[in-house]
Formats: sequence, C-alpha cells, structure tokens
Amino acid sequence: MQNQPYSIISVLGPIGILSAAALSVALAIKSNKTKELRAKVDNLQKTLEEMDEQAKLLVSTDMELNNLQEELDKKITGLYSLQKLSRTISTTLEEDQIFTRVEPALLEDLGFEKSMAFLWNEKDKKFVPRLDIGYAEDETGPIASFVDLNKNAFLDIIKTSRTLSSISLSQDSVTKEKICNAFKVNSFIVAPILPKEGNKGFFFVGTENAETPLTEGDEELITILANQIGQALENARLFETTWRAHQELENKVKERTRELTLALEEVKNISKRKTDFVSSVSHELRTPLTSVKGYASILLASKLWVLPDEVRARLEKINKHTDELVQFVNDLLDISRIESGKVTMKQEAQDLTRITAEVSDLLGVLLKEKKIGLSCNIADDAKSVFVDYNQIKRVFINIINNALKFTPPGGKITIKSYKAGEQAQIDISDTGCGIPEEAQSKIFEEFYRVDNPINQEVKGTGLGLTLVKNIIEAHKGKIWVKSKVGTGSTFSFTLPQP
Amino acid sequence: MMTLGAGISLEKNPTLAAKEAVRSARTKMQKERVNLAIVFSSTDLSSPPLLKTIGSMLEGVPIIGASGLAVISNQGILKHGLAIMLVSFPKSIHYNAACTREISVKGGLAAGEELGDKLLQQFKNIPRTLGLVFSDKLIEEDSNFIYGLQTRLGSSFPLVGAYASNNPSLLKTHLYYHQDIFSDACAGILLGGKLSFGLGVKHGWKPLGKPHTVTSVKGNLVEKIDDKPAVKFYEHYLDCDSAKLKTELKRISVLYPLGIYLAGEEEYLLRNILSIEENGSLRFQSNVPQDSRIRLMIGTKETCLDATRHAVDEAKKGLSASVSEMKKMETNNFAVVFSSLSRYALLRKELDKELEIIKEGLGPDTPLIGLYAHGELAPLRAANRLGKVYIHNQTVSVLNIGG
Repeated sequence: MQNQPYSIISVLGPIGILSAAALSVALAIKSNKTKELRAKVDNLQKTLEEMDEQAKLLVSTDMELNNLQEELDKKITGLYSLQKLSRTISTTLEEDQIFTRVEPALLEDLGFEKSMAFLWNEKDKKFVPRLDIGYAEDETGPIASFVDLNKNAFLDIIKTSRTLSSISLSQDSVTKEKICNAFKVNSFIVAPILPKEGNKGFFFVGTENAETPLTEGDEELITILANQIGQALENARLFETTWRAHQELENKVKERTRELTLALEEVKNISKRKTDFVSSVSHELRTPLTSVKGYASILLASKLWVLPDEVRARLEKINKHTDELVQFVNDLLDISRIESGKVTMKQEAQDLTRITAEVSDLLGVLLKEKKIGLSCNIADDAKSVFVDYNQIKRVFINIINNALKFTPPGGKITIKSYKAGEQAQIDISDTGCGIPEEAQSKIFEEFYRVDNPINQEVKGTGLGLTLVKNIIEAHKGKIWVKSKVGTGSTFSFTLPQP
Repeated sequence: MMTLGAGISLEKNPTLAAKEAVRSARTKMQKERVNLAIVFSSTDLSSPPLLKTIGSMLEGVPIIGASGLAVISNQGILKHGLAIMLVSFPKSIHYNAACTREISVKGGLAAGEELGDKLLQQFKNIPRTLGLVFSDKLIEEDSNFIYGLQTRLGSSFPLVGAYASNNPSLLKTHLYYHQDIFSDACAGILLGGKLSFGLGVKHGWKPLGKPHTVTSVKGNLVEKIDDKPAVKFYEHYLDCDSAKLKTELKRISVLYPLGIYLAGEEEYLLRNILSIEENGSLRFQSNVPQDSRIRLMIGTKETCLDATRHAVDEAKKGLSASVSEMKKMETNNFAVVFSSLSRYALLRKELDKELEIIKEGLGPDTPLIGLYAHGELAPLRAANRLGKVYIHNQTVSVLNIGG
C-alpha cells in the first residue's frame, strides 16, 4: 500500500474532489449556455440578415412603384398642364395676348422654368421675340442676337416641321452645346410654330435642372403645345381678317346709310317744295277760274241778252272745261294739303253701309245709264269703321267712278267688306278691261294714267287714285290693286275700326 | 396680447411685391406698432429692392427672414411670391434680433458663439424662452455652429430655424436681416418673457433593414460604414452600382435617406445624400456623428403627411392653453413652419395637402408663415421634454408661438 502512487484523492482530498467535480459540472453547464447563447445570437444574426434581404426586396419593389408613380404623375401633370395651357391660349383671339397667356407656373409643372418664342418677320428677314419666361431683362437681348446669328438653323426647324431637343441631338453635338449656352439651360426642346397663314416661328422651353432628364413624352407634349400656339395664331389672324372685313362692310353700310339719309332729306325737301308750289299755284288758279266760271254762268243764263246758238255752245264748253279745271285744281289742293299734313282727318265711328248706300245713290244715274250692276256685301263685324266720313266717301266715289269708266255696259261692280285682323278690309271689284301688270304699281302715282283706248277717249287728271291713296294712308290704312287685263280689277284697302 | 398681420404678394417685381405684402399685413395690424417682421420670399424675388422697400415702409422695425424654393402662407404655397408676418409684442414679451456675417471666414463654432453673444446683449436678467435662427445653407460646419450657439444660450435651450434654400440655378442662398440681403451669414431672434410655444418636429420615415455603424466620418462626409466605403451601404440595399446610384441620386436621397439612431429620442435623425465621391464616400446635407448607429429609412407620401399631422398636434399641445382658450385669455398665436426641400420634391402635387393639414390643425384663424428649407433646425422631442437641438433633413417643424 505504501508503494501505491499518490492518487487524486490523496492529493486534493475529498473536498477538493467535490469542488473539482462541481467546477466541471458548472463549466459544462456554462459551456452549454454559451452554446445556447451563441446559437441564439447566430439565429438573431441570421434573422437580421434575412430582414436585410427582405429590406432589399422591399426597397426594390418600392423603387419600382415609385418609378411608376412618378411616371404616371409626370404624364398626368403634363397632360393637365397642356390642357390648361391650350385652353388659356385658345380663349383669346388677339395675337399679342396668345403669348402672354403662357403661364410660368404651368410650364414649371411641365418641368421647364425657361421659355421663349420667336416669330419670323418676312419683311425684315429676322426672328422677333414674342415671349420670354424665366429670363432677366438683360438676358433676352443676347439670346435674340444668338437666334439672329443662327437664323438658318431655326428656319430649318420651321421648314422641316421638326422638333429639336437636347435628347434628339447627340450628346457631343455643337448645336446642342450652343443652344444650351445661349439659352442658359441644361436641357431644352424647340418646336416649330406653324400657322397656315402669316408668320411662322418656334417655341423654346428649357430647364437648368440637370437631374431630371427629358423624355420623348416631354418632346411630344411641347410639340403639341407649339401646334396649339400655331392654331391659336391662325384663329387670331383669321378673326383679325374677318373683323377687318366686317369693319369695312360696316363702314360702307354707314356711309351708304348716311348718303341715303341725305338723299331722303333732299327728296323730302323737293317734295315739300313741290307741294308748296302746287298748293300755291292751285290757289292762284282757283281765283281766276271762279271768275271765268261766274262770267260764263251769267252769260249762259241769258239775262243780258239772248245768246246765239254758236256762242251758247262755246260758252257751255267754257263752262264745262272750267268745271273740269276747278275739279283738277281742287284735287291738287287736296293732295298737297294731305301730303303736307295740313288736313287732319276728322275720324269718327261710321257705318260703312251708310257710306256705300249714299255713294250708290249718288252714282245711281250713271250706273243705270251704263247698265252696270252694283252689289254690296258688308259683313257685320266689318260694318263699323273709324274714319272721316267725307274723305272716305270720296275714296268710294273715286274708285267706283273709275270702275264705271272702265267697265263695259252690262258689267258688274261689287263692294265687299270683311274683317282683316284688327281692321276692316274693303274690296271693290269690277268686270272692266283690267290694268296691265306693269302699270299696276304706278297707278297711285300722281298724273299717271294707264295707256288704254278708254283713257285716250275719256279725260282725266291722273290725280284721283293718288288722292285716294293719300286719304287711306292718312287713316293709317293700306291700298293695293289686283287686276287682270280683260277680266277686271279689284281695289282693296283697309280702314281702322273703332 | 400679440397683434399679428400677415400679407402676401404674387407680384413679379420685388418692389411692387414688397409694397403689396406690407400694405396687406399692416391693414390687419390697424394702428399697432410693429416690433418684428418675418420675411420669406421665393428666390426670384430675392433682391436688394425687396428689402429696401420693406425696410423703408416699416421704418426701423427689425426684419429677419430668408429666401427659399417656395414660401408657405395661409393663402397657399407660393413658388413665386413673398410672405410677411408683422408682429407687435406686448410689453411682457422681450425680443432681440442679431446677425453674424462671414461664417466661412470665422468658422461655424465662432459664428455660432458670436450670434449667441449678440442675441444675449438685450437679455440681461431676463429669462429667455425661444430662439429663432436662420442661416445660409452653405455653412459647412453646421454642428459646430449649433454648438457655438448652445455654448452661449445653453445646451438645452430650444432653437428653431431653417437653412435658406434655393433653386438649382442659384449658387447662393439669401438671408434677410433688416434692410439687407446677405449670403454667408446667419441671423436670429431671441424671445423671452410671457411667451409660450409648442413645437412639433416629424418626418414620417421608418427604419428598414439591420443597423449599421458609421466607422469613419468627417463632418458631413461619411467615408466608411461598417468599415466599408459608405457607398456600399446604398449599393447593397438598392442592388446597383455607384454609377447607377449617381444618376438617380436625388430621388434615392429623398426616398431612402439615412436614419441616425439617437438614444433616448423618439425619432431617427434623417440625412439626405448630396453627392457620391470618387472614393466611395457619401456627402450628406448635414453632419453625421462618428460611430452613429444608422439604418436605411423608407417613407411614403402618406407617412409623410401623417407625420405633418403629428407635428401639428404636438405644436398645439405645447402651447400653455388651447387656441380657443387663448382668445378668451386675450392672448394670440401664430405659426412658423419649416418644411424640407425633400418633402417638396416628394409631395409635389400633394404639397397643398400638407398645408391643409397644418391649417386645419392650427385652426383657420391662426396666421402662419413658412419656408421650404435646405435643413431644419429644431430640438427632437424626448419622452416628456424638448430634447437636444439638431439639424434635420426631410422634416417638417411647426412652431406655434402664443403670447
């Protein structure tokens, strides 16, 4: 036993062994916990890595969605701005106002803060600036000079109807660089303005923003906008031409109206002078005529001496012609009085049957002599008229006398009255020789006599129907005739009713 | 009670625009004396006659403002226009405006310190409440600038502001201070006294993928992410090479900004990429801290507008009383809104929706003025307090001031 080597027990003793055992157990437990913790950390790390991968996916999807959203927003904004600009531009018909209606805010919505427009002046052979947005006053001069210096390049845009832009030109293009430098932009679009008539030009838009690249969609929008400007210019010019023509026409109408007014005044003056003259002459004629007729009557009465038959015959002719002349003068006087308004119609409610009966009675002998029948047909509602009794009686006498004159024996005269609107219409028809069509419009003129065999035989003044017309018109009525040669005539006139 | 008068103009001529906007704003002020004019204009109106005209019409009133790609107003988002907010403070509210020029010569830190010192000049023994700061977007050391300001005003002092923005054609952004237009400058106004304000700062982008670490950075130039060239980060997620990335950089920058995790803050801090350098480094719009834990961020128009809704809610909550109660208490409020150029690029046709959300949230009677900015300066809201001030990208900040 003494030779036995030192055992662990002998070295550590029992407490030591127990402690060592406890320590090894603790170490084992800790090692397990560490393993567990490490596993958890690894898991956490893995989860984080997975989260990061998910984050990448999320960002990628989000980016795509944002791109789509931005594209859509840009398109909607572009279309909205374009529609608004087009509407604003097209609501004016003044060429100068078209360019002032291009609102900077709307252009900014399209992505451009700078804009200019030039129209070619054929007379001066140069481009004239019509619009500038986003430039200081001292900046536009050098740009205009640049355009003038390179006018052929800009004229080419008009000739080829081609939109030019910083994306259609190659990256290292000299033109692109020149335009960018001159207009102080990073990207630009130049679209032709092409109205059908008049000066053409170009529309420039640009931006200094280098971060938002232009797209073909931008090019399309600006081309459409330039077209709209062209269309608006065309409309404005068309309107200008039409307006000018209208103005000229209006001026001509005014001038003609003025001339006609003057002519009418002149006619009125002449007519008045004529009426005054006729009135004056008639007065002067009537006095000696009265004397002539008086002396002729005395002689014819044979109070002084017995007249030889030849003398009597001559005197009777004098007497008859004097009567005719007196009638003529009286008619003339009446016409001139009515025309000058010296005679006022004494209008009262009258019974038309009374007037026609009296006229029929007055002309009864003549009707009988020529065997001409006279019939009256007066409607109840057209019986009462508001007229000057004596003047209207003259109208009836004149018209029926005429009918008698031109109606062959055995013929017929008809008086018909009926209500026409608010007035009474009277038609006096005969079965006479009728009036040729070309004479119908003239028969109411003074001294006009229809050229027919009866008129050549029967004497007349040509004043009867003029007088009739004047009397009817003085009653605010109208008179007209319908006639057919060989069949007869109808004189119609209207009279007011009470 | 504060008296407010807001006016806008869409005139193209700067002088006419200034006259129209000031007249319109003054009409609403009646005969109140104007203490401050906040002026924002689109870049096309940004010219000396604009400020000279406003200055001559307001005779000695402090003017502060900036130019931007677009201006926010009650009447709409003005791509070409001018907005002016005239403020008449009651005696219980104190204010002081100041400006610092030649930032590039002085450096961001010194410029921030100088502006802080100038702002504090009129504030001895007066508690200060809020600082409104505007700066040229071309400031390179923007974090240092904020740090400089904070060393003077206090590290947890709330600062809200914006970096002037421009359109692609202009190389300079403009800052308005009194009757002058400056570049390479910063200006601010310090407010204190009986004034309360609410602020909501939100963006609406959510983290995506696993976290990464910025292992090498110089200011806003991130050289390495997870010890690999920074561009690999974007190449990995977008599954494309850097050449493709370059062609679509602007879109990618807006859609998938970098999100910086900030311990204890509710929101990730976003950064837009400005450029990809030849060596694979990424230049961001503002500084990125070394060893930042970063994620790729993703957002949509809807999440963006939701964020605006939340920002307005927070801005309303921050006021000492609700707007309707304020009217009863004879106090008044107005809002200053700064929204990011990236939001402008993303929302496009739905920009008006963002404005509608703000107007609806604040109430139709709350006059507001704002700018689409190149960077927004604001504290991120921690659990129950306004947290540290950061330069934000892609964010909308709604500042609701009552008094």
